[in-house]
Amino acid sequence: MQHRDPYDILGVAATASAEDIQKAYRKLAKKLHPDLNPGNAEAEEKFKEIASAYGLVGDAEKRKKFDSGEIDAAGAERPPRNYYKDYASTDRDHPYADDSGFADFMSSEDAFSELLRRSARAQANRRGHDLEFSLAIEFVESIAGASKRLTLPDGRTLDVTIPAGVVEGQVLRLRGKGAPGSGKGGFGDALITIDIKLDRSFTRRDDDIYLDLPVTLTEAVLGARIRVPTPTGSVTMAVPKGSNSGTVLRLRGKGAPRHSGGHGDQFVKLKVMLPKEPDAELEAFVSGWANGSSYNPREEVTA
Amino acid sequence: MKLSRQEFLSLSGVDQETLDVWIEEEWLIPGDSSAGVSFSDIDVARARLIRDLKNDLGVNDAGVGVILNLLDQLHGLRRTFKQMRELAGTIPSG
Repeated sequence: MQHRDPYDILGVAATASAEDIQKAYRKLAKKLHPDLNPGNAEAEEKFKEIASAYGLVGDAEKRKKFDSGEIDAAGAERPPRNYYKDYASTDRDHPYADDSGFADFMSSEDAFSELLRRSARAQANRRGHDLEFSLAIEFVESIAGASKRLTLPDGRTLDVTIPAGVVEGQVLRLRGKGAPGSGKGGFGDALITIDIKLDRSFTRRDDDIYLDLPVTLTEAVLGARIRVPTPTGSVTMAVPKGSNSGTVLRLRGKGAPRHSGGHGDQFVKLKVMLPKEPDAELEAFVSGWANGSSYNPREEVTA
Repeated sequence: MKLSRQEFLSLSGVDQETLDVWIEEEWLIPGDSSAGVSFSDIDVARARLIRDLKNDLGVNDAGVGVILNLLDQLHGLRRTFKQMRELAGTIPSG
């Protein structure tokens, strides 16, 4: 970025005395100080420029360095600053608010005065802002529901009831738990975005839940009644005789709650597992099992 | 954001004694809290404005009071004007 010469900006000669520089700066600042021009964005830009220039050549030490070329105009840039006007015009909730500048207009009976009165009332009773938070919960909590306590940045705590069946990204609105308003405006709301942590076992699609479940060879071949975990506790499920890896069994009503009432289902996909260690008895049995090599499970797998 | 007296002094660059005078003059109106007076962001911005007026613009004490009073009336008007514009937006035109 090209920086203009600070003497040019202030409109003084490079040989000007310190007093002349101060006088020039004051004259410009009186006209351009952002707080004396609350509706004028251009003034703020210009003021930034003259304040930087004055910061450089209004200081005897820095001016000497600048004149000798040791520092340049880029070194004088000021960090952005919040002015009084940035607070005073937006919020009425501070001790400096003063409506006396138009109090006389408010007592008339015309339409303009009515609008003015309504505006003043609306400001006096402005509702507080909504505050946004996010909350990470376990998958199981998202299905079964839960009570969580959220600690806010300001130290307040918020008790949040997670309804059963919430989905990722859903926003819970807690009425009246946001920022305080002014007058009779009341509190804003707290908006809590739900973030569901991935689960090691369960996944969800729509209202249904999916689970991969290992079973033993014996359970798969002979059938069995086994315990199956669900987000709301474990249940007993019948594995039919002759089940296979990939067989999907349905647990009716064990899914997530539906909007329309009732629940989705949980689908359990079986995975037949051999014992972890090689088993001599099993090996002996399978080598004597004549039908073991008479079926082709790869029929449909093409190269 | 609530600031203690100490935090306020370091943020605004105002010294202890000057702050007492400004509060006395009601140029600054700090809030009350259980731990004594408390300040907020708007107080810091207002203190910087007062400092600019006195140091940079060469305004004397009487002038500062007059300027603050007029500025606050101006901000009251601007705020109400903005609110009126919002309300006017809800009135069907035509």
